[in-house]
Amino acid sequence: MIMICPGCSCLCDDIYIKEGKVFNACRRGNEIFAKYKENRAVARVDGKEVDVDTAIEKAVEILKDAKNPAIYGLDTTVVEAQRIAIDVAEKLNGYIDDNSSFCLGELVEAVLKGEMPTTTLDEVRDNAYVLVYWGTNPYHSLSRHLSKYTYYPRGKKRPRGYDEDRFLVVVDVRRSETAVLAKKNARFIMVDDDAELVDSFVKVAEGKAAKYAKDVGVIINEMKRADFNVIFGGLGLKYGLKDLNQFKEMVKKLNEVAPVYFIPAGFHGNMRGFNETLFERVGHVNKYSFRDGKSGEEFAFTELLKNEKIDAALIVGTDPVYSLPFEVSSKLGKIKTIVVDPRMSFTAKIADVVIPSAISGVETGGTMVRSDGVRVKLEPLEEKEVNDVYILNKIKEGL
Amino acid sequence: MALNPMDIYKLLPKTNCKKCGEATCMSFAFKLLNREKKLEDCKPLYEDKKYERQRKKLEEMLKPLEEATETGLIVDESLCTGCGNCVVVCPVHVEKDPKGAAVGNGPTIDDPILRVEDGVVKVINMQACRRYGKNRVLCVVCRENCPSDAIRFLEG
Repeated sequence: MIMICPGCSCLCDDIYIKEGKVFNACRRGNEIFAKYKENRAVARVDGKEVDVDTAIEKAVEILKDAKNPAIYGLDTTVVEAQRIAIDVAEKLNGYIDDNSSFCLGELVEAVLKGEMPTTTLDEVRDNAYVLVYWGTNPYHSLSRHLSKYTYYPRGKKRPRGYDEDRFLVVVDVRRSETAVLAKKNARFIMVDDDAELVDSFVKVAEGKAAKYAKDVGVIINEMKRADFNVIFGGLGLKYGLKDLNQFKEMVKKLNEVAPVYFIPAGFHGNMRGFNETLFERVGHVNKYSFRDGKSGEEFAFTELLKNEKIDAALIVGTDPVYSLPFEVSSKLGKIKTIVVDPRMSFTAKIADVVIPSAISGVETGGTMVRSDGVRVKLEPLEEKEVNDVYILNKIKEGL
Repeated sequence: MALNPMDIYKLLPKTNCKKCGEATCMSFAFKLLNREKKLEDCKPLYEDKKYERQRKKLEEMLKPLEEATETGLIVDESLCTGCGNCVVVCPVHVEKDPKGAAVGNGPTIDDPILRVEDGVVKVINMQACRRYGKNRVLCVVCRENCPSDAIRFLEG
């Protein structure tokens, strides 16, 4: 049976399991399929084991009593569950946020608002010539990105392979593993300040001199040779630039000389799904307050927690104790926490209520959205009744 | 670390005694690397006590030869992340599997040279490699595109 791997936003669609072996999945994807039975969460209330329904009832009670509840996470679950979570946040008149507020939410928002032209990875495979990886190292974040979608595969209009039919550009602050692959027909630009490089692109496109003119000149000339070029932007781009508008202007300017598309690269399996689902509902991609009816930096989960603005949190499928800085995550101890997770994460260990769920893509099906916006239908290996949709629906009904 | 015949030669007796059947120690070093000869074929190295230290060094140095496949390919699974670059760039795969490995997917043929299994690359069918057999081509495309140096060849 062909499976979809929910490990990252590549959502690889050629995974299969035969005689206990996982084929074609990268190391991270393999861990999901091979070890999904390990370290499973058990239903708990105040550290004592209970049955699932009791845990859900307790969760409803906490959320009902809370004055300022927040919902956080949701990037590894399916769109169907994300929709219900947004309903719950609306019903609670609370906050909702996911990891994208400190990940690539801003870039996804720009794409969803149509501020930068975008395309799909399948189109990239068939047509793209210049591929720019800006501030991202897919070797770590999206292992199969280069081999499955962009640089290495042969496409309909690019049949001759990577060393002739593609031009790879890697922009990073260090010589990353991906930068090492930029050899023939390629450029690696080590930047001190991303803004300078953005500026160089704009100036060279206008025919003026600039700091990185030599490399950028070559890249723009290569872009002019093709009718399809792509920039993949990662966290380095987001945090490297103080103002993303500069980058958007650059993409616009480049499009005057050659067609250049933009795709955000590198995040959780269904982060873009959450961004799109919330965008459809309220017009913002993350850090949204239903009480204030707007999105803002102060409503990011990390800020709410740091400033002690919330008294209860419903955390779905993420592990803030593990991933957030200690000064932020330690505040979780002061509030009531409900964790919905398939695994006994660090956050689950300190939570007031733990509700064990099913792993999306392995034990439950649904829809996820790839980094380029393509919707992918996941089929489970085995169906588990108590999944995120079931749990969130129960909580919604309870409220 | 790459093996080269000069390093091997330096540790051999360098007497050109011809006991191994080769005209010179240098040619013996080449044949050792190609696995046409074995270290044991060098009789003085084992019989004469003064070569003992050199022999031990050589044994240590030639250990990767035993791990390597017939084409000299060595895969270090502990370094591999399963990115599949090697599977997709392999020219033999591109030719034999135009709808699978050539377009970025996992191989759809039964006997690919390399395949990602359990998250790491495994050598499945070395005979199909262009480096195999008499008319071999010293192709290194898989190594060139391995971002984690998990793939290497005996010659470097």
